[in-house]
Amino acid sequence: MSEAFLAVKEIHKSFNGQKAVNGISFTIDKGEIFGLLGPNGAGKTTVIRILSTVLEADAGDVTVGGYSLRKNPAAVRNLVGVCPQDLALYEELSALDNLIFFGQLEGLSGREAKSQAISHLSLMGLTERGKGKISKFSGGMKRRINLAIALMGNPKLLFLDEPTVGIDPQSRNNIFETIRSLRDKGMTVLYTTHYMEEADRLCDRIAIMDGGKFVAMDTPQGLKRQIGDPDKVTLEDVFLKLTGRSLRD
Amino acid sequence: MKRALIIALREVRTYLKDKADLAFSLLLPVATFALIYGAFGGTGLFHGTAYIVNEDTNGIYAEKLVEKIGQEQSLDVELLSRQDAENKLDRSDLNIVLLIPSGFSDKLISDQPGELTFLQRGNGGQEGQIVASIIRGVVSGLNQEFTVLDQSNQLLTGKDIAPEKIAFTTQKFLEKEQQSPLIEVKETAIGSKPNMVNQFLPGIITMYVLFAINVGTTAIVEERRKGTLERLLTTHLSLGELFFGKFMASALRGFIQTFILLALSYAVFRIFTPISFLECLLIALLFTMACSTLGLVIASVSRTQDSATWIGVTFTMAMTMFGGTFFTISKGTALYALSKLSINTYANDAFKAIITEGGHISDLGVEIGVIAGVAIVGLVVSRLLFKAVPRGK
Ligand SMILES: Nc1ncnc2c1ncn2[C@@H]1O[C@H](COP(=O)(O)OP(=O)(O)OP(=O)(O)O)[C@@H](O)[C@H]1O
Ligand SMILES: [Mg+2]
Repeated sequence: MSEAFLAVKEIHKSFNGQKAVNGISFTIDKGEIFGLLGPNGAGKTTVIRILSTVLEADAGDVTVGGYSLRKNPAAVRNLVGVCPQDLALYEELSALDNLIFFGQLEGLSGREAKSQAISHLSLMGLTERGKGKISKFSGGMKRRINLAIALMGNPKLLFLDEPTVGIDPQSRNNIFETIRSLRDKGMTVLYTTHYMEEADRLCDRIAIMDGGKFVAMDTPQGLKRQIGDPDKVTLEDVFLKLTGRSLRD
Repeated sequence: MKRALIIALREVRTYLKDKADLAFSLLLPVATFALIYGAFGGTGLFHGTAYIVNEDTNGIYAEKLVEKIGQEQSLDVELLSRQDAENKLDRSDLNIVLLIPSGFSDKLISDQPGELTFLQRGNGGQEGQIVASIIRGVVSGLNQEFTVLDQSNQLLTGKDIAPEKIAFTTQKFLEKEQQSPLIEVKETAIGSKPNMVNQFLPGIITMYVLFAINVGTTAIVEERRKGTLERLLTTHLSLGELFFGKFMASALRGFIQTFILLALSYAVFRIFTPISFLECLLIALLFTMACSTLGLVIASVSRTQDSATWIGVTFTMAMTMFGGTFFTISKGTALYALSKLSINTYANDAFKAIITEGGHISDLGVEIGVIAGVAIVGLVVSRLLFKAVPRGK
């Protein structure tokens, strides 16, 4: 058994009396990529916002790297990096300046922030564009910078909320490779996406969430085995079977 | 503290990068100053042009008259042909023209009364009437000269004195009388023009600083809109540091604008001593800080850009109205009691005490105390409010 780096126990969150997260528990091991799948409005982003200390859960316990989220949010913030679903960039600043700014807020010195920024830009294949303003970037480039910012300060745990939404296969592939190589260096990742084959290829384990609850949690193979021959069915089949075909808000 | 500085620097950087915003915010105080200068600056003395049609070509008295008019400080002379003058009067380009008819000098030489005519549209216009009355003054001076000359001639003819000598002596007496007249009209200024500036500048500065509120109100909403607010909250940055950084950025921006306005007033109107200038800067700085924190209080409860702007503008208007920025609020009225609720009142009073009444900061304990108090309380309250208000998307 490897140690759980993230442990979530029975978290709940309501907005105006509506349950967005309804009693979720799971753990992620060190160096594991954990996929969180679910239709729109399932509560994935809400989970990530709670785990990244932006939102306070109504109930439940979370520990990250041994630190309690409730008691020591600062220590938790120290360990996690967040790539939010919506781009969070200063459009009027250059890519480099964005990275350095957030790096400094993560506690890096100006010099450290700059050298990390440069290495993350090269990881994203954007070395040449470092000085360019974000407002002049394509959607794919912005997504890659959005992810690069999450890496500033070398977090131990990454929350990636649909990091590949709306971009071309090349950019997606780049992000994909980056996540893999980070995992190989020991990074722990919580990953949400609507692309099933992406989750299938990337994730060690997957939870399928619907209406604020987990409806299944297993390895991709294990999930597929639940409904048939794992070599014949796809993750999408599993997803549709478990969450139904009705449209969500 | 270092992280608050990083936030502030980022803000300043964005501000510097937005060239239009930068130019606008720096030119605004300059433009405001130009307006103040246009309204209250300059000499304020009348200056006009006397348009003259001289048909008495080569007439010595016509020439003398034109020369005398030209010597008037408040008048320039422009000579026109009759045709030209009539055309311009027709088109309303001119309202009044002095006509010196041909034979004007000859008549005077042969002891007949000379005649001058004002060609004018209607009453000649306000400026025209002033020009005309100055010309009338010049003419009546000339009349006196002729009368005196005439009388001396009549008295002295047949007394064996050469007419040239009579003319010369009379002229000498006339000049002497002009230099030290029997009745002299003097001007004594009661209160110089720039006192208008003294009166209005405090209000204008106060209103200016209030802009800082509106810069502050959008500080948090902006981050929310960009999506960067939540990202900031997942870094090591504390709420206190975030608010303090925003506070520094908006106070700095407001202060720079006020500084430009005050410095221009200092240089041009000379209504400050170096000490009173520094004192005003200090009050401006404190007041900008207070306004920035008020802006942050609004920012911490505003969910959208629209609501931030709306609350900010309403608040600013109320402060300005109740603060007696544009009209004096008399003691004992209900408005007077209300005015004590407006931070403008204190800032205005402080500026007035220094600019208009020559007071000093050391006499302004209450005002300074209130302004500084608002700055500190605002900073604390904005943070608490932000924590208390539930966070949405
Ligand atoms: N700030 C909020 N106020 C009110 N309701 C909210 C808020 N944030 C989320 N919700 C609601 O909570 C539920 C879960 O939303 P959430 O964004 O977590 O879903 P999601 O799984 O990330 O969806 P998507 O795949 O579309 O990103 C939704 O019904 C949403 O409307
Ligand atoms: Mg989401």
